[in-house]
Amino acid sequence: MASLPKRIIKETERLVSDPVPGITAIPHEDNLRYFEVTIEGPEQSPYENGVFGLELFLPDDYPMEAPKVRFLTKIYHPNIDRLGRICLDVLKTNWSPALQIRTVLLSVQALLASPNPNDPLANDVAEDWLQHEDAAIAKAREWTKLYATRQ
Amino acid sequence: MTEESANNNVNGESLTKKRFFSEELEVDNDQDHGPLENQDSFLFQAPVTTSKVDSESEVDPKELLDMIPGLSGSQAAYLLAKTDTDSDRNMRISSAVGMYFEQQPTQALSKTPEKTRPAVKLSNILSSRSPSAARKKIRDYGERLPKKPRPSVQWRRFIGSIQVSALATRPTAKPLKYGSELKIIRNNSDATSKLYSANGRKKASMANFVRLIDSELGREVGRVPEEVAMVLFPLLDTDELDFEATMIYCNNRRLSVGDSFIIQLDCFLTSVVFETDVNGSSKAKPAQNFEKPGYVTNVVESEEELRLKSRRLALLSLFDQVQLRPVVTGPDETPESTPEVTEVIDLDGGDIENHATVEKDLIQPSQIQEDVLNVNQLKSLYKATLSMESSKHLPETVPDPEVFKLDLRRYQKQGLTWLLRREREFDEASNSGSSLEDVEGSMMNPLWKQFKWPKDLSWTAQKTQTDLSDTQHDEEFFYANLHTAEFSQTKPVLKSLLKGGILADEMGLGKTISILSMILTVPFDKKYLKPKLLEDTSRTEYISSQGLSQAPNHTKPYAFGTTLVVVPMSLLSQWQLEFEKSSAAENAHCEIYYGGNTGSLRTLLTKTKNPPVMLLTTYGTVQHEWSRLLNNGTAGVNGDTMGLFSIEFFRIVIDEGHTIRNRNTRTSKSLMDLSSARRWILTGTPIINRLDDLYSLVKFMRLEPWSQVGYWKTFVSEPFEKKDYKGAFDVVSSILEPVILRRTKQMRDVDGNRLVELPAKEVIVERVTFNRHEDILYKYFLNKAESSVREGLDRGDLLKKYSTILVHILRLRQVCCHADLLGSRDENDEDLAGNKVLTENFNVKKALLNESMSTSMISDDETTMILNRIREKYPNDGSYRNLECSICTTEPIDPITQIVFTECGHAFCEMCILEYIRFQSERQRQIKCPNCRFEVDAKRLVAVKECANGEIKPVLYDTGSKSSKITSLMKSLKRLQDACPGEQVVIFSQFSSFLDIMERELTASFSKSELKVYKFDGRLSMKERSKVLSDFAEKDLTKLKVLLLSLKAGGVGLNLTCASRAFMMDPWWSPSLEDQAIDRIHRIGQVNDVKVVRFIMEHSIEEKMLRIQDRKRSLGEAVDADEDERRKRRIEEIQMLFE
Repeated sequence: MASLPKRIIKETERLVSDPVPGITAIPHEDNLRYFEVTIEGPEQSPYENGVFGLELFLPDDYPMEAPKVRFLTKIYHPNIDRLGRICLDVLKTNWSPALQIRTVLLSVQALLASPNPNDPLANDVAEDWLQHEDAAIAKAREWTKLYATRQ
Repeated sequence: MTEESANNNVNGESLTKKRFFSEELEVDNDQDHGPLENQDSFLFQAPVTTSKVDSESEVDPKELLDMIPGLSGSQAAYLLAKTDTDSDRNMRISSAVGMYFEQQPTQALSKTPEKTRPAVKLSNILSSRSPSAARKKIRDYGERLPKKPRPSVQWRRFIGSIQVSALATRPTAKPLKYGSELKIIRNNSDATSKLYSANGRKKASMANFVRLIDSELGREVGRVPEEVAMVLFPLLDTDELDFEATMIYCNNRRLSVGDSFIIQLDCFLTSVVFETDVNGSSKAKPAQNFEKPGYVTNVVESEEELRLKSRRLALLSLFDQVQLRPVVTGPDETPESTPEVTEVIDLDGGDIENHATVEKDLIQPSQIQEDVLNVNQLKSLYKATLSMESSKHLPETVPDPEVFKLDLRRYQKQGLTWLLRREREFDEASNSGSSLEDVEGSMMNPLWKQFKWPKDLSWTAQKTQTDLSDTQHDEEFFYANLHTAEFSQTKPVLKSLLKGGILADEMGLGKTISILSMILTVPFDKKYLKPKLLEDTSRTEYISSQGLSQAPNHTKPYAFGTTLVVVPMSLLSQWQLEFEKSSAAENAHCEIYYGGNTGSLRTLLTKTKNPPVMLLTTYGTVQHEWSRLLNNGTAGVNGDTMGLFSIEFFRIVIDEGHTIRNRNTRTSKSLMDLSSARRWILTGTPIINRLDDLYSLVKFMRLEPWSQVGYWKTFVSEPFEKKDYKGAFDVVSSILEPVILRRTKQMRDVDGNRLVELPAKEVIVERVTFNRHEDILYKYFLNKAESSVREGLDRGDLLKKYSTILVHILRLRQVCCHADLLGSRDENDEDLAGNKVLTENFNVKKALLNESMSTSMISDDETTMILNRIREKYPNDGSYRNLECSICTTEPIDPITQIVFTECGHAFCEMCILEYIRFQSERQRQIKCPNCRFEVDAKRLVAVKECANGEIKPVLYDTGSKSSKITSLMKSLKRLQDACPGEQVVIFSQFSSFLDIMERELTASFSKSELKVYKFDGRLSMKERSKVLSDFAEKDLTKLKVLLLSLKAGGVGLNLTCASRAFMMDPWWSPSLEDQAIDRIHRIGQVNDVKVVRFIMEHSIEEKMLRIQDRKRSLGEAVDADEDERRKRRIEEIQMLFE
């Protein structure tokens, strides 16, 4: 395996030694560019009490290129599709090399706290969200309970 | 043959009546038709097969039978059938006779005498005749007593026959009897003086002096053609050769003056010719003789010399005419390859084809060898000479651990055996089969050729049963040196008294260790150590064995316990280190003789109790001392009383021995004058440019006789120039074979393992694009260069402008590296050394750049504005000290000269932000400040400048100030430093000023804790060199160590296996030099995979240089025959550059 840039090592160390509340990111043993991530659902959100599993991969061009992040746990969210892909500007056009794994994961957590159905990725969910917000939130809660409850 | 028939026609006589010797005919018919009984009526068929197109050409085979007794009817018919039916009958007969006799030389050539050849068959038939018939024969052919040998001649032996068409000079009363003996005599009346005019030129024909005499009548009958006379005349009155002439064909007519007749001339070598001792006394003689006639053409040759010369030519011509050829002992020549030859003559028609193939096969081998051989085969010569099978099977010698403490590899142990054998130190070498024979091998002197005694087909042997001469010899071969006309029955083995040789193992096989193992195993001259006074100088046994140039001077004190090792300066400390690592004996020590650090060497080496085992010095020191001695007065090197030339060393070893390849340099000359009993050369590349490179090595070793320039010229240089590559290479191979040992890394040992298993090596070409400034500069110089070349080509005087063009090329190469190099020299280009054209005005560069800048420059006002903003944000020096680069998360950015601010005031590492800008623009993305997303303009970046007075101030960042190559290098290093800190990296360049620039930029771009720069170039003193190398070699896991290495100073010899990565900043003309540089790290001791990056500017001269390198690799650099050729080659290269 190609050797790891110092920045990645530094970030990894800091994620372990100084973790962000509600977020864990553990590099895979075989591939230090691959992280297993968990994010706790923010309080007062439909995802409260849920623990969501994600995967994060740092491409070769990182930090020039944004990391690739995907939900592994099923989630009912207008900006996250059935495959777990996330619609988030900092992961796409607004990426800057000054951002880090930590900041990216915080942004994901923030996205859970404030879904944005006006810029949807999962169209059916977004529609549902816009038309019957309460029902949608209830469904999100239900899914959280169903799929994201810590065993 | 043609002459003969022409004569017949002129005389206008037709063959009306045949005159039979009736007896003879009867006998022959009776005897020879026996085997043909089944093929009845053959005689009647024969005329049919020999078509009747032309009645005139109709020939009765009987006629042939008359002429050649012992010929069977079918043979005759066959011969006739083979002749050209268009020719007239005389012609046909004579060519048939010719064919019949031509079979004999073919027979002589045969390597498989067991196989029945026609002539042998013939003789079988003859010998199977009844005794009475044989007796009859003897009588028939006249009295032919076995020749009374001259008193000095003990025996003679047949070497071949020539069929000679002789010219009658006197009319005869009756036809000469078939088979009658003729005498050959030489008119002895001071022929030589008539033959040659005063200037040694031949003026008369030798044919005038050689006559044929009818031995029965004692009367002259004719003369032989000039080409035969040339052979006979010089050789007739010596005892060395013996000739017998037998009448074969005279048309059965009386001879008139001017008639032709055919005789068979049997040639014999006698014992006399073998009596001179070729291996001994006579060996030196031709060596001296040689220089005279060969080179000083205007000197008149003495009579004796003329005699020798004509004798030599005669022998050469004789061997040619009897078609006696040396036995070829090529590996591909197996006896089986000779096609089965059946009795061609005895079989009829159907076999003609077969016969034809035989002839073809006989001709082909030599043709192939001559035609296919081209210059490229020097490479194969290299292979053939050097990678000898035999080196695989050398026994191993393990050095005594008491004196040598390192473990040798297997091939090194074998090498040690070889080295010791070359020094005749058989006691030390592993004892299996190490006799003198083994050392010398069965190496034949290349000037000598082996010949096989042909089957005796002489007239006497065949037609009479008195071949007493043959039975007593059972040697199959004899040997002849046709260059000197010497003969021998025993194999003339090349015995050199030389102790020493060339260890030419490929780079990285550990030549140093090998030779050290020998030095330590045999540290002093044992024969000399016997209780003698140290001052004793009567060591005739050593000196006489060498034929030193200062031979009469035996008075030099003998440093019998010291080996002098001459090395390039850069390797001095490495050798010392290796010595200390390998030497186990307590009292063995090594001294460095350099920079005048010792007093009298003579005292040190010959008067002290424990002289150093090894004395290290440099080529420079030797040369310097030599020059000083020469300038000091008449005594020259013999006047030395304290230095290197005052002593005779026990042994001299020169490392990187190709340094002396040009024998006209002072260095080379000075080395030649050092005295030593044993002389060794270490080199990985014995030939660099010219075949003559080898001569210097041979001369240094004093390898007689080749060290005489005349000898070398005659047998190597001249054949080579005359395009006789094979000849030249054969000689070179045989000269070198006994004295050189070369193994390559690819070679395998007896068990099939590679000699050396090295880790993988990866060489990547990284193409770099010019930045804007470089592009402008490059185009400017390219234009100039191109117009200059075009001019040269148009006017056809490219050669005259050669050096100007080289300068142009140099400029282009410099722009590829760094604009600041312009105006500096290329210290590696021999053709440019001392060129004065280099002092061009380089203001042009400034002008060009300013011009290009002005269009894109931002105004002064704007600049001030930008800088002010930075100043506001970072009011004092301290505020620069703790900045973090958000891209690489380095904190603080160190050194501060590496900081680059965006217009919005955010700080980044220079490399990070440049990489970001490149990354974004490549993908056509917006370039925004990573921190605040403010748009970033590459032209409006701000750098921090540290002024000479310590003041720190922001300045506008100049993207063009860094060369693209350096930027690429920096990026690679950054990545490397990021990923594997603690790595050691070697960076090669041929421009030492480029090394300076890189040193500056690297220290400015990396913090001291990240990266340490070392520089190794020609300007360092010896002490500094070893310090740099040892510091660099020390592993430091926290920081990258970079060694900037100049090709010239460090291209050879250095061992840098601590590093596994290298960057080649610029391509070199010679790919082998580049490979050699890479081999500094890719050699024994390297444990990691080696990765090499070569930076090449895109669309530049450098890309074309790569192509030239490829070309050189395929053509082989070694083949440059001479200066002219080399220049021509370079011109072609120049054209390639500007295609």
